[in-house]
Amino acid sequence: MEWSLDKVQKGAQPRVNDSPAAAEAVEKNVLMGKVEDWVAWGQANSLWPYNFGISCCYVEFASSLMPDYDLARFGAEVIRATPRQADFMVIAGTVFRKMAPVVQRLYDQMLEPKWVISMGSCANSGGLYDVYSVVQGVDKFLPVDIYMQGCPPSPNSFHHAFTLLQEIVASERRSASWIVGPEGVQKIARKSQRETMREKRLDIVELRSPDEV
Amino acid sequence: MNTEALDVTAMQQDLARSGAVIELFNKFGESLFTIQITADEIPTLWVSRAHSYGVLNFLRNNINQPYLLLYDLTAIDERHRDHREGQPSSEFTVLYHLISPSRNDDIRIKVALDDADLVLSTVSTLWRSANWYEREVWDMFGIVFEGHPNLHRILMPSTWKGHPLRKEHPCRATEMEDFNLTDEWVEEEQEALRFDPEKWGIETDTGKDTDYMYLNLGPNHPSAHGAFRVMMQLEGEEIINSVAEIGFHHRGAEKIGERQSWHSYIPYTDRVDYVAGVMNNLPYVLSLEKMAGIVVPERAKVIRIMLCELSRIMSHLLFYGTFAQDLGQMSPVLYMFIDREKGYKIIEAITGGRQHPSWFRIGGVAQDLPRGWDKMVAEFVDYLPKRLDHYNDMVMRNSIVKQRSKGLGSFTTEEGWDWAATGPMLRATGCDWDIRKKRPYAGYDQFEFEVPEGVNGDIYDRCAVRVEEMRQSIRIIKQCLDNMPEGPYKADHRLTTPPPKELAMQDIETLIQHFTTVTWGPVIPPGECVVPIEATKGMNGYYLISDGSTSSYRTRIRTPSFAHLQMVPFMGNGLMIADLIAIIASIDFVMADVDR
Repeated sequence: MEWSLDKVQKGAQPRVNDSPAAAEAVEKNVLMGKVEDWVAWGQANSLWPYNFGISCCYVEFASSLMPDYDLARFGAEVIRATPRQADFMVIAGTVFRKMAPVVQRLYDQMLEPKWVISMGSCANSGGLYDVYSVVQGVDKFLPVDIYMQGCPPSPNSFHHAFTLLQEIVASERRSASWIVGPEGVQKIARKSQRETMREKRLDIVELRSPDEV
Repeated sequence: MNTEALDVTAMQQDLARSGAVIELFNKFGESLFTIQITADEIPTLWVSRAHSYGVLNFLRNNINQPYLLLYDLTAIDERHRDHREGQPSSEFTVLYHLISPSRNDDIRIKVALDDADLVLSTVSTLWRSANWYEREVWDMFGIVFEGHPNLHRILMPSTWKGHPLRKEHPCRATEMEDFNLTDEWVEEEQEALRFDPEKWGIETDTGKDTDYMYLNLGPNHPSAHGAFRVMMQLEGEEIINSVAEIGFHHRGAEKIGERQSWHSYIPYTDRVDYVAGVMNNLPYVLSLEKMAGIVVPERAKVIRIMLCELSRIMSHLLFYGTFAQDLGQMSPVLYMFIDREKGYKIIEAITGGRQHPSWFRIGGVAQDLPRGWDKMVAEFVDYLPKRLDHYNDMVMRNSIVKQRSKGLGSFTTEEGWDWAATGPMLRATGCDWDIRKKRPYAGYDQFEFEVPEGVNGDIYDRCAVRVEEMRQSIRIIKQCLDNMPEGPYKADHRLTTPPPKELAMQDIETLIQHFTTVTWGPVIPPGECVVPIEATKGMNGYYLISDGSTSSYRTRIRTPSFAHLQMVPFMGNGLMIADLIAIIASIDFVMADVDR
């Protein structure tokens, strides 16, 4: 690479290297974009989960971190023991009345931006447990970004939910400052998976017989 | 009618002749007691409140071969019960289920109470384990135990109004006021969680020029294996005193039993010890089958045992991995989850489910084994022992693991009985109490296996016992594989649920029978029954009361983890915080198994 310490002459033309090699090098090494796009991209690919579980679903959540499923493929294996370092929280289990104030406190301790996945029927709606000690869905007091069905959902469906969360995070825009852009977070409308997957679901016409392994 | 009456009298005679009952009659006089006949044939004696403590004290301390294990202590709200033939009048009944290990014999003592006067003297002075059980009865029924050292709520929040297992308490959340978590409520609940040592009778004066430090571990802590907390009084890193608090995982499973049909309650049992899968279904269906008089066909028995032992391996592998992780080893848990996935593949192929298959049925299992199951199981039993050898080098022979677990958190067999410890916790102390051997149920008498025992009852031995149990489970699964009987997978009995479909198409009678059993659910004859089993963590049993309807009148779930978790302060006091983490890991509890 050539360089010099000459004083800039008035009216001098900048030296341009228009060789194809240089053009290729620039193409391969320089990316241009807006700060908010880069921030969203970075956030979506380095989501740190909060190591938090209440019931059965946590075992399947833990399975999704383990070698067979390997959440590390999505850059999300850095489970954090404290809410202050985590980006998102998986409500993996039943939300109890005795536990709800604790869950609220833990959520409050997470720093913005933060997201919530409601894992399994109990966290979605109370599920099997319409009973005096259980809150009928964590969305009674927390904003939920993704709902997962299942009792408990398999690690595969956790990965599905997680990639959906990545899509949400990647699509959200936060302006670098209120001087540059609008205040608050710009969100896209969320698609119902039931609608999105309808065609795919209807395509399944043959089910495996339970008499074979 | 006459023959039935004769039968009952004959049974009463039999009971009256059995060992401990005779000794009680000799000591206190026969007039003091009323005998009740139960489906499980455990001698059940009613005694008045004035004499209950004396009787229990005699059984615990003065009788030969004493009743060391307070297997269960619970209550029944009798106010709406129809079938109480031969029982003294009672509005609330407190019952004590005792076991004498040396006799290998059970006895049940019942005490009648009036709603207006729900007071009884504590037995926490006789069995240390009674402490939490009595707190639970107070919390759930509002029965006061006089002389109890700290009769506070245990499962419900301290701010709760009412006693959930009383019949007038609503069962469903949707029957109650809407849930609205306000900031004030959060503050109030957080304030209620503040540790007040004096409330627990803990001495706060150090007697020196220093103060104790108070540390709160939980309700959410990465090493706590679930939502519970330990409040510690510390001097430096040494735990002077501690209090365990539970109830953050109370799902009201016992109350739900009173609203579900007998059949539709099976999925709830899976979620009690949620890492042990179908193992949870077994005590429930066994208890029902005993009440209904269903004889399960051989093939169903062997299928059940095979899946139960597979579940035991799954549960113990999870324990093994997380135990090593809590002692600072990162990699074993990663390896062991690979094995667990292999196990899940088999469970999924057979039952269709992973963690909660809910696959056992009243009178058998849900369906026959799929073609090709034997190859999968054969591969697994061939594969796992080599992996266990590998883990033995990795974990059990590791010097740091040994240093952190040997000689710590230990207790003797005697203390184990006193705290109602069962399962690997108890066997680690050098005791062979495994009810698969002691009182074979569900066909375990047909299998060859050994009961692994520890020596010192410390953290290391508890792990070693479980590791060896996995090898024994593999041995049992191999025997299932080699000797799987042919035949039906569910019983030909009118209460088998769902009933065999072929019979439904014979005539109108069988069609009606099928229709009612499938829609309303089976009607189990009135009675009381419990069949304890050796679950992954210890003795688990469903004490069911049928009032002759389609759902249970009272479902009592006796779980091993509840008793074990009570021992945390006993094992941990005097040690370091890091040792407490190792002790918690070595108990192998699941919070749903504690709080239900």
